[in-house]
Amino acid sequence: MLVIGENINASNSKVAEAIANRDEEFLAHLAKAQASAGANVIDVNAGSGHGSLERAIADGKWLIQVVQAAVDKPLAIDSDSAEVIKAVLKEYTGERPLINSITAEPERLESIAPVVAEREASVVALAMGAEGIPPKVEDRLAACERIMEHLAGLDIEPKRVLFDPLVLPIAVDTSQGMVTLRTIEEIRSRYPDAGVVMGLSNISYGLPKRKLVNRAFLLMAAYAGLDAVIVDPLDTKAMSLIKVADMLTGKDPSCRAYLRAHRKGDIVD
Amino acid sequence: MSKDIIAALKENVIQGRKTKDDVGIDDSLADKPGVVELTQQALDDKVAPQEIITEGLTAGMEVVGEKFSNKEYFIPDMLASAEAVGAAMDILKPALESAKVETKGKFAIATVKGDIHDIGKNIVAILLKGAGYEVHDLGIDVPEDTVVDFVKNEKPQYLGLSALLTTTMTEMGVVIKALDESKVRGNVKVLIGGAAVSDEFAREIGADAYCADAFAAVKVLDSYQQAKS
Repeated sequence: MLVIGENINASNSKVAEAIANRDEEFLAHLAKAQASAGANVIDVNAGSGHGSLERAIADGKWLIQVVQAAVDKPLAIDSDSAEVIKAVLKEYTGERPLINSITAEPERLESIAPVVAEREASVVALAMGAEGIPPKVEDRLAACERIMEHLAGLDIEPKRVLFDPLVLPIAVDTSQGMVTLRTIEEIRSRYPDAGVVMGLSNISYGLPKRKLVNRAFLLMAAYAGLDAVIVDPLDTKAMSLIKVADMLTGKDPSCRAYLRAHRKGDIVD
Repeated sequence: MSKDIIAALKENVIQGRKTKDDVGIDDSLADKPGVVELTQQALDDKVAPQEIITEGLTAGMEVVGEKFSNKEYFIPDMLASAEAVGAAMDILKPALESAKVETKGKFAIATVKGDIHDIGKNIVAILLKGAGYEVHDLGIDVPEDTVVDFVKNEKPQYLGLSALLTTTMTEMGVVIKALDESKVRGNVKVLIGGAAVSDEFAREIGADAYCADAFAAVKVLDSYQQAKS
């Protein structure tokens, strides 16, 4: 399972503060800690500049430089704004960035997909259009189809696409766990070369003992075909469970990765 | 007799039991009539709809609100109670209309332009409906013109604006400015809510109130109602 470290995100108030204060040390340390905890990709989201596009771009450019100087890992350029993604990409010197994200919304697709093609980037594709997260499996798959068609037109191969099936809180609608799991299965069977990625925390919104709920859902999603996860790599229990999930789904020959991690003392229950 | 029905109604709202088949917070009311059955029974027994609402439904929701604030109840608990109250309000509607009982007030709610999050907005709408307000849900990604037109034509006393993103919260200020320019800002109290906003932000854009959660919205509206009477 590909681990995308989520910690450098301005929605976390400490990170937002560090970005505002240009606290290079704090952010470089956070990047390194995630890398040594086993993150394969480090997600970088500098926030929205309090509504000012100029500031969002300046923050994003500064942050990407700090993180790429600190770690030798591919970075995920994460923003709600296509302008920010494009500006930040110019500062990124790594080979294969992951762009986070596109949707089936035509405007967003048309502005970001060409950059994905040009930089030979990978891209996170959310299974939704302009109208929000569809509550039904069919509508999420229809969004995936529109995205795939558009990307194919730009010669972007399916293996560079990581679909996010999207997760709505189970507290609000108890059918949503199965909606996400079925969407994963369908994406798997329709686009066998594409990847499927998911954030862990949405499912448990509004419930007590959220981490327990998140971890259980991770295992179910792994069975359905999940192969990448956006997670806090410093959460040792979650990281242990990712190793377990790989092992139980036949992705860890001779249980090597699990046992290596165990011998290092990294597996906690 | 009617006292017993009202007390049972309140208890069932607290338990979040819409019908007799629903599983409550615990087993204490198992197999007994739920909110829907009790509301019908109260009407049949000629209990005043107003009494059913204030002494039964609203009184129950107040307890739910307290338990939610204390973290004893969670979102699914609160939604079950609110849905039960919503079902009771549907049963009471004809009786309220024929008795010419007015709702507590007209409340319009929208998620602002560029933002498509609807969960928080829907929870607020359900809860305010349950609290006796006439709720108009304008949807998600709503441009300021739509909001202004609604305020002009439908004359709600209250307007709720929702935004989850730091990129879209600024739209709330745009809406308030547009209400100002159309000279209808004074006709409507504007409440804001959502993960990105705060008390401070509400003051900054000239909103009337910030509501941290759906129960806060009920409290704020009820305080406006009290100030009126």
